[in-house]
Amino acid sequence: MAESGVTESGVIGPVEIRVPPDPSLGRILRLAASGMASLNGFSVDEIEDITIAVSEVLIALIEHGSGNPVEVKFEADEHSFKLRGRTLIERFDLQHPDLVLCRSVLAGVCESHTIDLVDNRAHIWAEVTHKKIE
Amino acid sequence: MDAADNSSLTVEIGADGSIVVHGDIDMAGGPTLEKVILSRENSHQVVIDLDDVSFIDSSGLRSLLGASRRAQARKSSVTLRSVGPEVARLLQITGTTDQFVIESSRG
Repeated sequence: MAESGVTESGVIGPVEIRVPPDPSLGRILRLAASGMASLNGFSVDEIEDITIAVSEVLIALIEHGSGNPVEVKFEADEHSFKLRGRTLIERFDLQHPDLVLCRSVLAGVCESHTIDLVDNRAHIWAEVTHKKIE
Repeated sequence: MDAADNSSLTVEIGADGSIVVHGDIDMAGGPTLEKVILSRENSHQVVIDLDDVSFIDSSGLRSLLGASRRAQARKSSVTLRSVGPEVARLLQITGTTDQFVIESSRG
């Protein structure tokens, strides 16, 4: 965990976590995200969407990754919960059917999301945003 | 009862032969469920009881969809029992609800 804190507006975070590519750790990250979202006032339905998004990001990075550690960052503000994940990767098939299913779920639970290779440097990141309903 | 070492999912066989799932059907638990389905699908109608499932993601859904595809190849189907809102939502998002027989829903 790199840093965390509380802003003047009371928003908690950001939180950064680095984990080995172990599928069983997904539950830990979901719990961390749901706890942070709850403390930031998100509704039960919104938290449900956030936990699904966390899981889908991990699926993309672990199942389609190269076995390297995964870094995940959670950020919340008054209107959204953002999560970013990244891992070093040798190759990445964005058209893989499993990844297409993963992306369709992300599209369903998130306001926006992107999965890309960055600078073609065997490095991927994903970011999804969930809009907080006032 | 069959449990994966590090997943939060356990599976047991109900008195009626249904596959009763407890826990999260995710990247860690999905393979456990798939293993049980594969061990029974050729000799039993596949009925999966989801009463104690409150989380599923696309990797878990893949296990269910795989079972459905294999069942359709056998001219059969996969029945989902006691489908909660979390599972129903994922089926709706992915447009896969019609791949299953929904026996009952909850919540």
